[in-house]
Amino acid sequence: MFLKRLKILSASLVIFLISFELNFEVSAQDTTKNTNGAVAADQAIIDQGATLFKQNCVTCHAIHDVVVGPALKDVHKRRQLPWIISFVKNSTKVIASGDQYAVDLYNKYNKTQMTSFPNLSDAEITSIVEYIKVEGSKAPVTAQAVDGAKDASSTDKSNASNPYGDLTIILLVVILVLVLVILIVFSSVLRKYLKDKEANLEEADKVLVNQKIDFVAFFKSKGFITVVSIVFVAWGARACWNTMFYVGVEQGYQPVQPIPFSHKLHAGEYKIDCNYCHTGVTKGKQANIPSLNICMNCHSQIKKGPKYGEAAIAKVVKAYETNTPVKWVRIHNLPDLSYFNHAQHVKVGGLECTNCHGQIDTMEVVHQHAPLTMGWCINCHRETKVNGKDNDYYAKLLESHNQVSKKDLKVADIGGLECSKCHY
Amino acid sequence: MSITKNISLIIAGAIMFSCTDQEKFKNIGIHENTRWEFAPNMYHSKAYEPLTQITDENQGVFISSDDDGVGEYYNSNPHNPHQMNMRVPAEGTIKRTKNGFMPYHIPKDSLSYAAKVLVNPLENSPKNLADGELLYAKFCAHCHGAEGKGDGPVNKPFKGVANLAEGQLKTISMGHVFHVISNGKGRMLSHASQLDQEERWKVALYVKNKLQVSQ
Repeated sequence: MFLKRLKILSASLVIFLISFELNFEVSAQDTTKNTNGAVAADQAIIDQGATLFKQNCVTCHAIHDVVVGPALKDVHKRRQLPWIISFVKNSTKVIASGDQYAVDLYNKYNKTQMTSFPNLSDAEITSIVEYIKVEGSKAPVTAQAVDGAKDASSTDKSNASNPYGDLTIILLVVILVLVLVILIVFSSVLRKYLKDKEANLEEADKVLVNQKIDFVAFFKSKGFITVVSIVFVAWGARACWNTMFYVGVEQGYQPVQPIPFSHKLHAGEYKIDCNYCHTGVTKGKQANIPSLNICMNCHSQIKKGPKYGEAAIAKVVKAYETNTPVKWVRIHNLPDLSYFNHAQHVKVGGLECTNCHGQIDTMEVVHQHAPLTMGWCINCHRETKVNGKDNDYYAKLLESHNQVSKKDLKVADIGGLECSKCHY
Repeated sequence: MSITKNISLIIAGAIMFSCTDQEKFKNIGIHENTRWEFAPNMYHSKAYEPLTQITDENQGVFISSDDDGVGEYYNSNPHNPHQMNMRVPAEGTIKRTKNGFMPYHIPKDSLSYAAKVLVNPLENSPKNLADGELLYAKFCAHCHGAEGKGDGPVNKPFKGVANLAEGQLKTISMGHVFHVISNGKGRMLSHASQLDQEERWKVALYVKNKLQVSQ
């Protein structure tokens, strides 16, 4: 009897415990739902929304910034989901229906109508809204913070320059001085030793031991004067000779430009191809300085630069609006007596811009990289092979050359050293 | 005596010819102003140079060899706006092209019409596709991304570039691409000054037949 009661008691206790536990679990689940349920939609839906947003919306919308259309942060708080869905699917219809909010939006954003997306389903648009909810709750990532981090890392790199070059020279000097000191000590000790035994020495050795250097006689000697004057004349002649070579060479010419345009930023960081702005480089003699409408392709939108702020870009915009050309200072000035064609070198020869202009994409202010001397041109024509890739013009020539010669056909071999190629 | 002479000649020779190589011009260093030049009247063009403009009539007067009353370096066309040496071609001028393209006149707001009626005159050859790919890399990729996903480096400050590889734009026609390059759309401006019509068609060919297909 007692045993049976005990069994029932224990069973009921177990049931009670289980039910309690279950209860607890349910309530625990309830609390999580209450705190996160409003935001925590399925991760898969958010991912889908993210993909769709990047595919279709980023052209005109950002989460935190006004781009073409409004910033989409908290859009779910501003409008109901059905309204959003109908607007995305056919904004024209919503505006035409006289919906006050839609008409206000249309007027506020320069009467630009949002592209309609009839292909997106209700579920897909909902997923985009879910994605915007999640992204909107995060703090905006500022470009400046990223740039700052980048700056810091680059300065770290530049500080760690190689100190070994200086160290070797210092070490060498120290060793040489030590050797000198040892030699002086050695010779004075020897002389002292010999002086003590002077009586036993021969006449010639005596002279050597008691030797006194006659500086005046040495400086007046014919040999000394000859050597010094020849060295002096040679040094002077060399200086004149070299200076003459430097005349007309503008390597390193870095003038101040009217607008501080940074090739490092445009070509380096943003990886805009040289050809995008210098449109003539594959078509004609000149690579061309871009006209202002090319600047405006981006700067109709981007009004603030990372380094010079708004002032520099404002100059570009003003010049464009007033139709005034910017007077850039020309850096590479080939003398009028010689002819150079960009298309021949870039399109036919297949050379990279950096071959002659250096690492423009690292230059904050551009300077002339190459000497642009005749020797420099000729040297390259001697060393460069004729480029027959994708070019049938040289096909037969290259074929017949390769039959009779094992050497590569160089530019010099097809008239690359002819005077009249460049001078006429 | 002859020994000293020989020695001094050796030293002189060593001084004269030491370190004469191409790198020597690096010694010039970075400089803000131009340096000296030989024969300036052979360096400065008397004919109008497209990318040189010196408006100061007195520049190079000291060396002037002819009697036109202006300095040797003066190089500007006083009859042009801003005294520029280059001029925009007269209105109505048609550029002759190899494939006989006539000027493209469909206005910007007729995108849907252009997208329907335009037909790519170029054949879908590997050469044209390769050209288009190269042109895309040079003229489009920094915004639209190498794979067309709208994720090029310029996208960061520009905030929003069309995604060509995915989404709604996969359904557009080749004429649509051509029209948008020619006239711009939304925040993208016309790229007609950078790409001629043949090049625009090559880009359109590449975008539709390779970029969007390979995704």
